[in-house]
Amino acid sequence: MDALNNLMYGFGIALEPINIAYVFAGVFAGTIIGMLPGLGPISALALMIPITFAMEPSSGLILMAGVYYGAIFGGSTSSILLNAPGVAGTVATSFDGYPMAKQGMAGKALAIAAYASFIGGTVSIVFLMLVAPLLSKVAVSFGPPEYFALMVLGLTAVVSLSDKSLVKGLIAAVVGVMISIIGIDLQTGTERFTFGSIQLLDGIDFLVVALGIFALAEVFYMLLRGGGGKAPKRNAIGSLKLSGSEMKQIAGPIGRSSVLGFFTGVLPGAGATIGSFLGYSMEKRIAKDGDTFGKGNIKGVAAPEAANNAACTGSFVPLLTLGVPGSGTTAVLLGALLVMGVTPGPMMLEQRPDVFWGVIASMYIGNIFLLVLNLPLIPLIAKILDLPRPLLLSLILIFCMIGVYGMSFSVFDLLLLLGFGLIGLGMRLFGFPAAPLILALILGNIMEESMRRALQISGGDWMIFIDKPISLALLVLALLSLTLPLLKKRRKKSA
Amino acid sequence: MTTLSLKRLAVLALPMAALAMTTAAQADEWTPSRSIEFVAPANPGGGWDTLVRTVSRVLQEEQLAERNFAAINVPGGGGAVAWAQIARDSGNPHKLFATSPPIILVPLAGASRYDHTAFTPVARLITDYSIILVSADSDYETINDLFDALKENPRLSVGGGSAPGSMDHISVAGLASAAGLDASSVNYIPFSGGGDAMTNLMGGHVEAVITGAGESAGQLGEGSQLRALGVSAPERLSGSLADIPTYQEQGVDYTFDIWRGVMGTPDMPEEAVAYYENLFAEMLATDGWQQARDQLGWIDAYQDSEEFGAFLDEQKELFSSVLSDLGLLRQ
Repeated sequence: MDALNNLMYGFGIALEPINIAYVFAGVFAGTIIGMLPGLGPISALALMIPITFAMEPSSGLILMAGVYYGAIFGGSTSSILLNAPGVAGTVATSFDGYPMAKQGMAGKALAIAAYASFIGGTVSIVFLMLVAPLLSKVAVSFGPPEYFALMVLGLTAVVSLSDKSLVKGLIAAVVGVMISIIGIDLQTGTERFTFGSIQLLDGIDFLVVALGIFALAEVFYMLLRGGGGKAPKRNAIGSLKLSGSEMKQIAGPIGRSSVLGFFTGVLPGAGATIGSFLGYSMEKRIAKDGDTFGKGNIKGVAAPEAANNAACTGSFVPLLTLGVPGSGTTAVLLGALLVMGVTPGPMMLEQRPDVFWGVIASMYIGNIFLLVLNLPLIPLIAKILDLPRPLLLSLILIFCMIGVYGMSFSVFDLLLLLGFGLIGLGMRLFGFPAAPLILALILGNIMEESMRRALQISGGDWMIFIDKPISLALLVLALLSLTLPLLKKRRKKSA
Repeated sequence: MTTLSLKRLAVLALPMAALAMTTAAQADEWTPSRSIEFVAPANPGGGWDTLVRTVSRVLQEEQLAERNFAAINVPGGGGAVAWAQIARDSGNPHKLFATSPPIILVPLAGASRYDHTAFTPVARLITDYSIILVSADSDYETINDLFDALKENPRLSVGGGSAPGSMDHISVAGLASAAGLDASSVNYIPFSGGGDAMTNLMGGHVEAVITGAGESAGQLGEGSQLRALGVSAPERLSGSLADIPTYQEQGVDYTFDIWRGVMGTPDMPEEAVAYYENLFAEMLATDGWQQARDQLGWIDAYQDSEEFGAFLDEQKELFSSVLSDLGLLRQ
């Protein structure tokens, strides 16, 4: 049992009192950072580089990793309570989490999110520990054609996210792709849809759109409905307890999404956001009560929460075994490690086993801390819903604006936020679903870049998408997921 | 979170800069009268950000500067957003930014109104070099093998970590033309970073990759899946990269610098420039700097303000000619 010995060695490092303190400090700071919309783990970690410089590399990474997965853990809170995702990875959590909160089940939704995050995180640490070196091969086997096929498969979820009208869902998705195109095109260096504005050169940040279309649109909608003065329901939080049958219901989604999320995280560039969407849409399709997703289904909270935490842990695979950052956050971690004199990569397991196994062991401890820390906090934090409506709405507004301004210190982004808030309101009034737009916005860019890269490599030959087995398999899956529901429907009609 | 509010304070303090400047510039021996805003024109995690944070930290640890250097990220437009902001802050002696070839390349591509001539060169600090990588089981042993293959089959893909017309592309296109190929014949595939490009090379999705030597150092060595064919340095690098021959050793007369330095606001007072020049020269001599520099795979390449300014003009000419060969010149 090599892994077990290594793990014991890792626990030896992670259980040093100073390191336990670092894990705790990391996950605590991360939880709070995650709860505040806009203030993401990237900027928090960049600020910590000077602090960690003087530390033992293992301690430094233990602290910073704690902030990262702590933020993903805590990000669900504002998604559920305020419809304002705290970090990009928890956007999908608001689809069912916020409806649950509106129905007086905020406590339950938060508890499910905490359990699912804990299990997703822990399951993926086991994977990370056992198969990380092997998985680095899986990660590199994904080239441009494979990424394109994966994004196509992801986009087929538009069908299941479209509620009533498929046409409206598709329109929303097309708008999402169009927004993703804004900015400098990496393939040619050409500006697209920037109208000469330098603020648009880097495109529109995903969180600006998400906060606008979800949180701000919700505020506008409530104002429009004259709900401003309505008194909140008494005991708006509800019980935290889950019944046995509810436990059974979410066990499957959590298990499946943990695995799916982990593998999504392993792929450089995919990460927690895509992982949570894939988990959500997979469960919606599998579930017998799939049509209640989006209206407060507990499985719709469990799946994305397990997936995003699993993906967060999974993203340590390319970082630690290949030395390649798969996301902005892991890029900052890589930079911090280099400054501390540790070069992540194929040699790291041999050269710095203390860092590798110490961090893995600390993640087990960190996830337990997060659960113990978050559960008792739920009734306190959820009290925010007891606030009078006008106060609550103003609070959401302020959170969104501070969050967006804090990302780039740009007034232009605030105007964009307002614009997307109005677009979101319009979409709600005319029955356009917001989820397909957000999904297409996340996937559109990678899909387009991968497709053009693949075609550039193949010299314009489309067969590259079919010649590669992984790409072919993913495309077949995509085709099936589009056609099976139609066939089912037809069979139902004829029966 | 505390630094976040600090940043906001710094933003609020901006209008005060003009006031502070007029009084400070009159003194003979100029010293900063408040914290220096040190801008990385990008998000945390990239090359500029690393330079800004490392320099700020070393200056503080070695207690060289009278005032604190506050690292500030102004992302957007590959630098253009920060440049536009700094260009409006003419004469402010308390604002510096990290710079590298994009200050020339981005404007040449037509994506920024401001180029290096709009700002005050302060000092060049370090340089990195380009490196050509292939998979460890590849048939190519030298850059000549690779270019012979490219001559026969121009469709062979060469990945890089940045958009067409930016650093990696210019570097490999210039190399190709020095090796007797048409610069525009290289099938350059842009990835979203050097790491992304190297992963694709490991997976066999591209034939070769060009990226920064420092960035690739962790990927090379015993048991590596990658092999380096050559570096763009005038002489061999040190440390783990010492075994890699230069292009010149292999008969291709071509070098390419990925330099990084510091620039200031337009028309920064001479006294302030002199102060910073000396400060950075002193910093480069400290143990703290040398340690950080080696860990990050950087090579010292100090130039003072005047030399750096002349160097930037030369670079612009070089880049313009490669870009026009590639048909990417927009200015």
